[in-house]
Amino acid sequence: MKRLITLCLALCTFVPIQARSADLMIAQAANFMPAMQEIIPAFEKETGLTVQATYTSTGKLYGQIINGAPFDVFLAADALRPEKLYTQQLAAKPFTYAKGRVVLWTRNKNLCSKTWQHALSSHSVAHIAIANPETASYGTVTKAMLQKLNLWEKTKSKLAVGQSISQAFQYVATGAADAGFCAYSYMFTPQARQGCVIHVPEAEPVLQKGCILSNAPHPNAAEKFIQFLASPTVAAIKRSYGYQ
Amino acid sequence: MFSIPLILSAKLAFCTMMLIPILAFPPAYFLAFGSCRGKSILDALITLPMVIPPTVLGFGLLMLMTPSGAVGGAWQTMTGSRLIFSFSGILFASLIFNLPFAVQPLRASFEKLDKRLLESAAVLGLSPWQTFYRVILPNSISGIAASSILVFAHSLGEFGVILMVGGSIPGRTQVASIAIYEAVEAMRFDDALYMSATLVPVCFFFLVILNAINRRQQS
Repeated sequence: MKRLITLCLALCTFVPIQARSADLMIAQAANFMPAMQEIIPAFEKETGLTVQATYTSTGKLYGQIINGAPFDVFLAADALRPEKLYTQQLAAKPFTYAKGRVVLWTRNKNLCSKTWQHALSSHSVAHIAIANPETASYGTVTKAMLQKLNLWEKTKSKLAVGQSISQAFQYVATGAADAGFCAYSYMFTPQARQGCVIHVPEAEPVLQKGCILSNAPHPNAAEKFIQFLASPTVAAIKRSYGYQ
Repeated sequence: MFSIPLILSAKLAFCTMMLIPILAFPPAYFLAFGSCRGKSILDALITLPMVIPPTVLGFGLLMLMTPSGAVGGAWQTMTGSRLIFSFSGILFASLIFNLPFAVQPLRASFEKLDKRLLESAAVLGLSPWQTFYRVILPNSISGIAASSILVFAHSLGEFGVILMVGGSIPGRTQVASIAIYEAVEAMRFDDALYMSATLVPVCFFFLVILNAINRRQQS
């Protein structure tokens, strides 16, 4: 019996974990995912480095970072959290990498010709997806706009809250919600063609900042990536996903 | 503010506990007394929600419960309202998710019944329904109690499936586990702490009762 236990323990120690760790770890706000999935292969091709990105809401990533998650670069969907990391000396000076927009997306063709306010109050709309305003910047911006226009109380009961902007998009894509406040960048993905985009000019543009983290395990690769973000290749990709 | 999710969790757990016998009795009865080739397949099918990842179950339920899905569509025709993102919706998900937890203790207690009792009932001319109602049920009280408590406690802690199909609507689908998760994510640690501190003793209390019942059943 004792031998068996020893053998098991020995096996646990020696079985190598196959996954090779990446040369660069990025904490990426979910709205930028469609663009990032093109930027990463381009960067990998140019530098030969491997990149691993985690996509979720800015608030969640921020929580993970201040608790010591081993990311190199944080690309948020707001200015607030990178600035906060900077004042806490957890990150280098933040820079703006994109400016995004909130849109209303629906798969209900009857709503396509309406304004977003009319779509919201339409009887055929029972559920409107929104990203969690507490943790996801696109949700924060949407809530602030609805409050400013005195629509928040009226629409609150219709809102289905996604944990990130990608879950809000997914709620509409699966047909669970009739419409949703989504990131404009998602409108350039193949799934989005099944529905239509209603612009929401009243929503503030989402100023997205990023930073290199002070405890980055791979500071050199991080530096290279930040330089790459300013390249014409990335500018073209960003434009193709509707970022300014 | 933090009491609303807790009350909602309790409501969900209570409703699941009250409704699940309707779903759990027939398969438990069949698995205990039936004898045909489909038995092991039915057994596996009912146990499935216990072993597959909650995300897989949640994704499947999401597809079923949307207005264009089979269950969501039928519900809308019947009631005129949506199933997804509603309390009825998370209750439906909870019933599916809890089925194995209700069926297994029931089945075990049915199997432990003295076969002579059932034979006597048959000799005395009781129909199978009467036998179930007047012989099996009264003799399986502790199994029913164990199954109910397990389902109640388990529904209180449900997370993954509801995260997928709930939509986190305060007062309707934002149960305690989801509210705690969101509070932690938003770094409202006080709220998370209050809710957790309420939930832990409640679950502990139910498990103590469950153990007491199981002990009594064995002796």
